[in-house]
Amino acid sequence: MLQPYFQAMNDSWVAKAISESLWIYPLDQAIHLVFLALFAGAILILDIRLLGLGMREQSVSKVARDAWPWMIVGLLGLVATGIPQLIQNAMREYYSEFFWIKMYFLPVALIYTLTIRRMVSQAEEGRVNPGMQKIVGVVSILLWFGGVAVPSRLIGLFT
Amino acid sequence: MSEFLASIQSVVQLVQDSETSTALRESQYVWSLFEVAHVVSMCLFAGLIVMMDLRLLGVGNMQTPFSQLQKRLFPWQMLGMTMSAITGGVLVFGDPMRFYANIFFWMKMTLMVIAALNALAFHYISYFSVDTWDGNKVPPFGAKLAGALGILLWGFVIVSGRLIPYNWFQNN
Repeated sequence: MLQPYFQAMNDSWVAKAISESLWIYPLDQAIHLVFLALFAGAILILDIRLLGLGMREQSVSKVARDAWPWMIVGLLGLVATGIPQLIQNAMREYYSEFFWIKMYFLPVALIYTLTIRRMVSQAEEGRVNPGMQKIVGVVSILLWFGGVAVPSRLIGLFT
Repeated sequence: MSEFLASIQSVVQLVQDSETSTALRESQYVWSLFEVAHVVSMCLFAGLIVMMDLRLLGVGNMQTPFSQLQKRLFPWQMLGMTMSAITGGVLVFGDPMRFYANIFFWMKMTLMVIAALNALAFHYISYFSVDTWDGNKVPPFGAKLAGALGILLWGFVIVSGRLIPYNWFQNN
């Protein structure tokens, strides 16, 4: 169903421009990873706190509020550097199982992070019990790492 | 000097030809497992280093005093570093000639040494007086410098690591 669109990306002038340059694509991949580190850090600092495994002197909501803007910066950077990679490799991605696993989990992880995880972590202290916080932290790590990050790395390894 | 390099290269070649190294290189699943684990470890290590460096710069995690952030993130950073080092070491062992001959690999190693020196310098200079600036909205110059250098250096470690597959400057 989506194949014509992927084909169009694949044949676009953007894809051609990227592939004509020796540096653009590799640097784009590299910067994608730098934003990944920022994003993962902002996700993990809060998940570690939700799990009660670190930062325990600080309230969950303060850790959450502090991490939020950097998570958004990381996310925007990942999307901005991810799209050129998709355009450049459109047909490879289309036929990659791992790409689709990533694309199914990405919206789930994103919506979960922007809604449930946000509400639970920014709630007033004492309103959410620690057991619930732990579940929210575990689900976040599973979605982002198991659902998104690991399949992403596998796209390039199994083509 | 060239004799010295030649003897190093022959050791690297010896590892390259060993049964374990060859098996690792030729097993797509085991190799991929370590590639994936290396990136996940990087997320834990570099991610939490960046969170701490943003605090040093005075732009992130400002509601938590620096010493608290440092103490509570440290075990996780060390776990991430250990996992990165082990998975990275296994990958090098699995294809040593490729890394030995790669400029980006050596760039990454050099930058890591400089990043470690930056962390040590911070620890012995600015962190020594942490009690006087722990909760400050604007950390002292030395702390900011260490934070900025940390982000830059680890960022370039990641960039040079990602560029290793592009062996533009390799002559075989």
